[in-house]
Amino acid sequence: MILVNYIVSICLIALGLYVMCSKRELIKIVIGMGIMDYGINMLIVSIGFHENGTAPIYTLADIINGNLSFFVDPIPQALTLTSIVIGACVDAMALSLVIMIKRRYKTTDADEVRRLKG
Amino acid sequence: MIQFYEHFPVISVMGLFLAAFLVEIFGNKNKTIRYGISLIACLAAAAMTLYLIIPVFRDGKIISYWMGGWAPEGGYAFGIGYEIDGLGLFFGILTSITFLMSVIFSKRYMERDAHLGHYYTLFLMLAGSVLGLVFTGDVFNLFIMIEIMTFAAVALTAFRHGKHPEALEGAFKYLVLGSIGSSLTLLGVALLYLSTHTLNMAQISALLSSQGFKPTTLFAFAMMLSGLAVKSFVVPFHTPAADAYATAPASVSTLFSGMVNKAGIYGMIRLTYILFRVMDRESVMLLLALIGALTMFVGVTMALAQHDFKRLLAFHSISQIGYVLMSVGLGSVLGLYGGLFHALNHTLFKGLLFLTAGAVYYATGTTNLDKLGGLAKRMPATTACFLVGAFAISGIPPFNGFASKWLIYQAAYEKAVQSGNFVYVIITITALLVSVMTLASFIKVTSAAFLGQQPASLKEVKEVPFSMQLPMFIMSALCLICGLLYRPVLTYLVGPAVSAAMDPSAYIDTMMGSGYAITHGVLPSSMGFAMISAWDPRFWLLLFIIVTCAVTLVAVSDARTRGPVSLPQPGETDAKHATFFGGEKSTHSHVSGSDLFWGFKKDLKGYFHVIGDLHSGRTNDYALWVVLGVTVIMLFTFIFLS
Amino acid sequence: MPEFVSNLLNILLVALHVLVFPGLLFAAVGGLLLAGIDRKVLARMQRRVGPPIVQPFYDFFKLMGKETIIPAAARPGIYQAAPIIGMVSLSLMMLFFPIFGHSAAFATKADLIVILYLLTIPAVALIIGGSASGSPFAGVGISREMVVMLGYELPLVMVLLTVAKKVGGDTMTFALEDIAVWQLANGSLLFHWSMIPAAIAFLLIIPAEVGTQPFDVAEAETEICEGPLIEYSGAPLAIFKLNTAMKMFVMTALFQVLFLGGIDLGKYWLLGGAVLFVISAVLTVLCMTFIHAITARLKVEHLFKFYWTVVAGLALVSLVLVWFGL
Repeated sequence: MILVNYIVSICLIALGLYVMCSKRELIKIVIGMGIMDYGINMLIVSIGFHENGTAPIYTLADIINGNLSFFVDPIPQALTLTSIVIGACVDAMALSLVIMIKRRYKTTDADEVRRLKG
Repeated sequence: MIQFYEHFPVISVMGLFLAAFLVEIFGNKNKTIRYGISLIACLAAAAMTLYLIIPVFRDGKIISYWMGGWAPEGGYAFGIGYEIDGLGLFFGILTSITFLMSVIFSKRYMERDAHLGHYYTLFLMLAGSVLGLVFTGDVFNLFIMIEIMTFAAVALTAFRHGKHPEALEGAFKYLVLGSIGSSLTLLGVALLYLSTHTLNMAQISALLSSQGFKPTTLFAFAMMLSGLAVKSFVVPFHTPAADAYATAPASVSTLFSGMVNKAGIYGMIRLTYILFRVMDRESVMLLLALIGALTMFVGVTMALAQHDFKRLLAFHSISQIGYVLMSVGLGSVLGLYGGLFHALNHTLFKGLLFLTAGAVYYATGTTNLDKLGGLAKRMPATTACFLVGAFAISGIPPFNGFASKWLIYQAAYEKAVQSGNFVYVIITITALLVSVMTLASFIKVTSAAFLGQQPASLKEVKEVPFSMQLPMFIMSALCLICGLLYRPVLTYLVGPAVSAAMDPSAYIDTMMGSGYAITHGVLPSSMGFAMISAWDPRFWLLLFIIVTCAVTLVAVSDARTRGPVSLPQPGETDAKHATFFGGEKSTHSHVSGSDLFWGFKKDLKGYFHVIGDLHSGRTNDYALWVVLGVTVIMLFTFIFLS
Repeated sequence: MPEFVSNLLNILLVALHVLVFPGLLFAAVGGLLLAGIDRKVLARMQRRVGPPIVQPFYDFFKLMGKETIIPAAARPGIYQAAPIIGMVSLSLMMLFFPIFGHSAAFATKADLIVILYLLTIPAVALIIGGSASGSPFAGVGISREMVVMLGYELPLVMVLLTVAKKVGGDTMTFALEDIAVWQLANGSLLFHWSMIPAAIAFLLIIPAEVGTQPFDVAEAETEICEGPLIEYSGAPLAIFKLNTAMKMFVMTALFQVLFLGGIDLGKYWLLGGAVLFVISAVLTVLCMTFIHAITARLKVEHLFKFYWTVVAGLALVSLVLVWFGL
């Protein structure tokens, strides 16, 4: 069950990288960044997942006694939330840069947005 | 009993972040408030960081600080902890020096730009994030700081997009590649959590050495290494650095080369020496050394082909980071000494050079080497500082670049002799050769921008104001001091950082309770090292004796033949002092920077064409470079570490 | 205060070392003599009578007496300081050599890498000085000088590493004194067959370092009127000329230290050493003169290619041989 999550998330990461490497359109590159982020977020959530786990509310005694497997690990969920927020900010930033580039360069084609080279 | 200074790390980081928001709230209209808040925050953060030298470097303490008092219980760390050992503080000092110099420089340098409130907000965010990155003891917190750093850096790169639309392009490439790097780091952090169930660096280090490497951990290692390599801009991840450094304002470029790529290097040292402790695995470390050697060669050859002052400096920045990484990748104590010392020196001289580039831009409005010339007459202070920086980066004794490069050569050659591996000989030769190429490239800048003939458009250029000269003078003085007094610097600054990296047991014990390291089988590495020969800067005191004698000799011989020396006075228009070329009075014919290497470039034109084409400027190609680099690192890790 | 007196004596001794022997004066006189021998022998090879051997001295003193003219486009400070910086680094280098096969002027272990860097300073001084003169001919000259520097640096680095490996074996050393001691025990490095390519490479580096034909592209009188030196006159020019002569002396001394040490002369070490030193210096210069006499000036790109292929190849052969213990 959880294996599917891992496979899908790795596929998403690979897809994101593929989009970034192959698509000339700047907006698509930003979308590629997003896809890669989603893949990683999914992976992190899956890391914390336990089959038939309950909500992560527990006491210290449970941890010390090693009863962790009854709970879904809460830390990855916290990490995912943080990472989603960061991802949203990065996307917003990237899109605003694309808008500015469109204004100044009159294009959003990566082939033409290359005054800095060599 | 908590000592008062134990609060300093968190206060300095939080103070910078707080000041960033205060600037945004109160400082958007009034420039005095805006600059006052920024300067005070930077001064306070730098002072607190420098104060930590006393407990950490002198007394050998390690400061730990649990956010909200969430200390570990039952051998598991839950809270976010700050932990400052010698290594972290060393990079903290580099960071403090850099942002302090840059904020002083920014006052006049940025005065002609609009929206300065945003500038200082982002500036303080960047400073705070790097400081937080080197002080934190938590891998996820490290990732957060990396993200804030990238975010602020990208926005600052694009700050002057009004005048220079290329800045947008540079920022976009930086953002795309930077976000790949961050994502890879996050992936590594997640996988590390999967195998150790903790995010605390000290605990991870202990658990990894007790449970050994599993495929998941190896994957995590490869991912984090690639992610941090992207952040430190080593080949093949260096491409956005050149664009971003060149288009950002010079005060920001100083931050980039002084602390942003140092943050990546810091992460890589932390990862290889403390978290995974692979410094004895020659195969993996050889990868780092090879990447370093490749980085310094590609960086310097690209720099030879540049026409823009700041872009040239950007490629040199990449090249010098290659030195640091190569030396760190040797995995020996001497190598770490050389690498860390070079990181310190690179912060000083490259910061200085970017500041002089900023001064040139401030005075002339351009950094194109083909349009500059003869600035030495108009800007003597800037020229003097530039020459100090140029000699330091080329490793001319007695400046600091020589001392650290000289340690690096020794370390590389020592490794070659000890391991009997011919690859290290090639690395040593590359390092020595790159140093000469660096010299050649800076001679080009010197003769193209500061010496040579003055174009008519630059006749009215004025020297920059004192508040811009001051940081340049301080940096120049530090360059000279680190070169002449390199032994005390090595002993009191670099030494604690090296011992912290080589022996993490104290780091683990401070964080997790004493005895934790031993029970998990963390053993310190040997600290023994020997320098094979000694360079005594006192010879340079002799130099002054000779200089004095030689000058006297010249003066006396002149005086004997024709009385007082008849140097041309400023404004004197004696026809005999006019320029003459082989008897002809000349018109303006300045030999510009791009013409200086044609013999070299002609012979190596195959290489230069290929490398130039590879830096195509296309975002997709650069992303492809990153993917290739990650693949190589992953293959190397799985083949040699499992 | 006897301590004060002994300190003073020490300082005086150091000053003596720096200024007279084996520093400035020794290198200057030796260099000018070698330059004289070079000119005389070259003339004889070309069937001319040639100037007297002391002619470089006359030239030097004549130039010292001339007026110094500083062009309007030049930066006076850098323009005048450049030759002196070159001279200083050359005199300093002499202090590191264990002259006459035994010990250097200073007890500290001198170092191949320090020497490598000090060797670049005279070239840099020439380049900076030429650049400060503001003349476009100087611009062409310095660009050539730079390419020449890039050219010979690669083989030079290889030769020095070869020597270090040969002498150090599995321990490592960069110290010149160790090299001298090793040669005393094992015979001159020149007579170890695996070192012969490196020695030839080093002999080929000397003319480029000094800037004599066929490697004088930077000064090329017939094309660019002495390149970096075009605007110089009077005392600074004299010092630059002296630098060239001193460079010749330093390079021959370095060759002697690296490859021709190790002839044990017993109790006659001072006299015998001096004689051997002179003989080997003259022989080295004669090699250079011979190449000078039979060749014409190379183009700069040919020069660069020559150094990175032929000379670097020779050095690499030695390096590989030595690395595998031959």
